[in-house]
Amino acid sequence: MSASTIEVPQGDAPQGRVAVAAPMPDVLPPMRRIGGVVGFLRRNPTIAVGGFLLLLMIGVAVFAPFLGTVDPTALSPARRTREPSAMYWFGTDMLGRDVYSRVLYGARVSLIVGFSVALIASVIGLAIGLVSGFVRWLDWFVMRVMDGLMSIPPILLAIALAAATRGSVQNVIFAITVAEIPRVARLVRGVVLSLREQPYVDAAITTGTRVPVIMWRHILPNTLAPMTVQATYICASAMIVEAILSFIGAGTPPTTPSWGNIMAEGRALWQVKPYIVFFPAIFLSITVLAVNLLGDGLRDMLDPRMAKRV
Amino acid sequence: MFAYILRRLIATIPVMLVVAAVVFMMVYASGNPAALLAGDQATPEDIARIEHALGYDRPKIQQFVEWLWRVMQGDLGTSVFTNLPVTTMIAQRIEPTVSLMLVTLVLSVGVAVPMGVVAAWKAGTWIDRAIMVIAVLGFSVPVFVVGYILAWVFALQLDWFPVQGYTPLSEGFIPFISNLILPAIALGGVYIALIARITRATMLEVLQQDYVRTARAKGVGQREILFVHALKNAAIPIVTVIGIGIALLIGGAVVTESVFAIPGLGRLTVDAILRRDFPVIQGVVLMFSFVYVIINLLIDLSYSLFDPRIRY
Repeated sequence: MSASTIEVPQGDAPQGRVAVAAPMPDVLPPMRRIGGVVGFLRRNPTIAVGGFLLLLMIGVAVFAPFLGTVDPTALSPARRTREPSAMYWFGTDMLGRDVYSRVLYGARVSLIVGFSVALIASVIGLAIGLVSGFVRWLDWFVMRVMDGLMSIPPILLAIALAAATRGSVQNVIFAITVAEIPRVARLVRGVVLSLREQPYVDAAITTGTRVPVIMWRHILPNTLAPMTVQATYICASAMIVEAILSFIGAGTPPTTPSWGNIMAEGRALWQVKPYIVFFPAIFLSITVLAVNLLGDGLRDMLDPRMAKRV
Repeated sequence: MFAYILRRLIATIPVMLVVAAVVFMMVYASGNPAALLAGDQATPEDIARIEHALGYDRPKIQQFVEWLWRVMQGDLGTSVFTNLPVTTMIAQRIEPTVSLMLVTLVLSVGVAVPMGVVAAWKAGTWIDRAIMVIAVLGFSVPVFVVGYILAWVFALQLDWFPVQGYTPLSEGFIPFISNLILPAIALGGVYIALIARITRATMLEVLQQDYVRTARAKGVGQREILFVHALKNAAIPIVTVIGIGIALLIGGAVVTESVFAIPGLGRLTVDAILRRDFPVIQGVVLMFSFVYVIINLLIDLSYSLFDPRIRY
């Protein structure tokens, strides 16, 4: 890639100056790369913003009982559909439940589903991708199965699987995971296939290193960077799909407050009481945005070739 | 060319077989579809009766082969609730969904490609950053959230468009499009983000090519360089992503139709899910997957239109 104004982001300027400044420290202030967490975050503002917002949401989910909430499932017909006020910050829904408490507790479902799906889909997809990339006779068969799964629009597949199981958080995780696995498997297989052509892998094979050792020592570490980025995007999309499933009534059971559920319940009244829909919507959007920003930041950091381009 | 098309068509057969197997098996994801259908109050006798009536008690291989045979003849089975053939139910609901998707497609491509081109042209400036911020928001704000915000602002507050509903094209273009414009923007959000990003990335690469410098040196105007010389050479990745992104439109349509009360396939699916009407769910999933595979096959075949060097 030839250098051009596009390829050299302004963010690298201080680094470039270091080499020039070194022999004459009295001319320019000593600009060392600031170390530690602060320096890392300053060099990667996307990760900083995304990480901060995500930590905030995790805090909300973990400490929901201590943030001025009441029982999110407590019914109270006497105080139905109150507008937001000092007493009910986000108002109450049509059954008199406190929307603020429900939204805060709802963060738990979203985060659990997002993280679980990202983790499980990554691990299973990694295993399938490694085996498929190394065991050639299995590859054709496994990849046709993956092609087939990827030919079903993922949201539709998750909806159908969720509909065919009893509504529970575990089944929602299962449904979304199945839809996400092929993407990880394909990614890992691609990395494995390109790594197999590398001289050091050839050398390892020639010296008689066993395949599991090659996978563990030479292949796996190289898949981690693209996989981490992919896992972040899977987490973001899983949180959206969970909300969609709950919203259309095929996801988290109504007894557990989740952002999709709250929106589904607010749907009938949204033209007169829009706040019931909008508060969970804002929280969901901010959380997904945080995870996406984290993913973009990780991608730029882990894959410098892609940095500042996509 | 003909041999290539034939080869590609044959290659889709194993893929469609896997799709069919997945669609068939997903009914058994819970173990016992009859129990799920019967509800929590059902006695074991009720469940056995339903199981037998719907044929779920026969050997699974036999069921799959018989089901596949009927599907290949165009028979997607009969709805458990309405007793209508699934194909009839799909035919009744297909028009609003196809309209919504086509309007979204045209709108998204029309907005996203120029966005990506301008972002690449002005790379590194605030225009580029603003466009990329819009893109990341498009990925992050779920389709139903965008839908409700648009409906609240432009339909309820400003009263520019109808809040909900659908008017067929046969009743005039203006009512048709005014009902579809808000759902199309909502549905197009992710799609626009996706296309704009890939357009920008590909254009950045193409704009560094020697022929772009040559064109600039001989005095070709900026607009012509961008939209004629560069965009044409960036077309293949963009068109590929437009095809892959159709999956997002299909999934998003289910939700968009719920938000805007559009009586299409999405509503059919949601109703079928709430009633656990498995033949309908299977039929819709199978049909959408088939359409998706065919669209992407056609896009692969269209590459030679954009790049005459590609021959089959």
